[in-house]
Amino acid sequence: MQGHTTEQELKDRLSLIESMIAEGRRNTESWGWTFVLWGVVYYLAIAWSAWGHRVWAWPVTILIAVIVTVVVASLKAGNHPETTLGRAIGSIWIALGISMFLLFLALGLSGRLTDQHLFVAVMSAILGMANGASALILRWKVQFACAVVWWVAAVITCFGTDAQSTIVFLVAIFLCQIVFGIYGVIAEAQERKRRPIHA
Amino acid sequence: MPDLPELDPVVHGRLRLALLSLLSGVEEAEFTWLRAKTEATDGNLGAQLLKLEEAGYVAVKKKFVLRKPQTLYRITERGRQALTEYVQALKQLLGPAIDS
Repeated sequence: MQGHTTEQELKDRLSLIESMIAEGRRNTESWGWTFVLWGVVYYLAIAWSAWGHRVWAWPVTILIAVIVTVVVASLKAGNHPETTLGRAIGSIWIALGISMFLLFLALGLSGRLTDQHLFVAVMSAILGMANGASALILRWKVQFACAVVWWVAAVITCFGTDAQSTIVFLVAIFLCQIVFGIYGVIAEAQERKRRPIHA
Repeated sequence: MPDLPELDPVVHGRLRLALLSLLSGVEEAEFTWLRAKTEATDGNLGAQLLKLEEAGYVAVKKKFVLRKPQTLYRITERGRQALTEYVQALKQLLGPAIDS
């Protein structure tokens, strides 16, 4: 066979393999919007808690956010194939959602959700863990910076005043959810603009 | 002079090679996704996938999602091995020309 195959043809085949493997692995899913959604959800839960419904504010808003995320994500998924990488990242965030829902529901119902510093520290540490794990898998420095912000927030809130703890938490949500989410949406839109490589 | 390796004719077809390469990066993929990535016609794509299936290089699974039929393809261990051997053969055939 190779007697009839030119060198250029062989090179072309090799480059086709490389481009198609890259195309298959390219992350065409869009997740930036979930960070923005959850940032807004955290702000709503904080406002609702401050209004005086501490027991239900967090579990209810998180449950609604989980349902909205699952429904929108499954509608957007379309016919995109599942990759091992995508499943690993998805698993981290699903586990985070379940952990937060159960933890804050139990803390709220048991009446132990009274220490704001402990609440912010636990929440920030969990978000730092999820962002850190995701960033290390994806080798994404920007997301790792978000993890660092959450970890710093978790430490600062343990030593700061109530006001400092609140400010740190609000700033961390703004940077790591809203700003990072918008950055993600823009990056994903730019990625989608790249034309697929045809066989 | 060492013997030059033979290229697997099933893998060598341009569209079949593209399909195997695409499937090597994902767990499984729908027919429509493969069609979008390769821009092949339904008929040609179906025929080439059938050849790969007959060679044992891809496995096919049909299911219904919300009453709509869905055909999913995944690369088999044999297909992955064939693709790896094909790449090795290509590299051997190209030799130093690979970097030029």
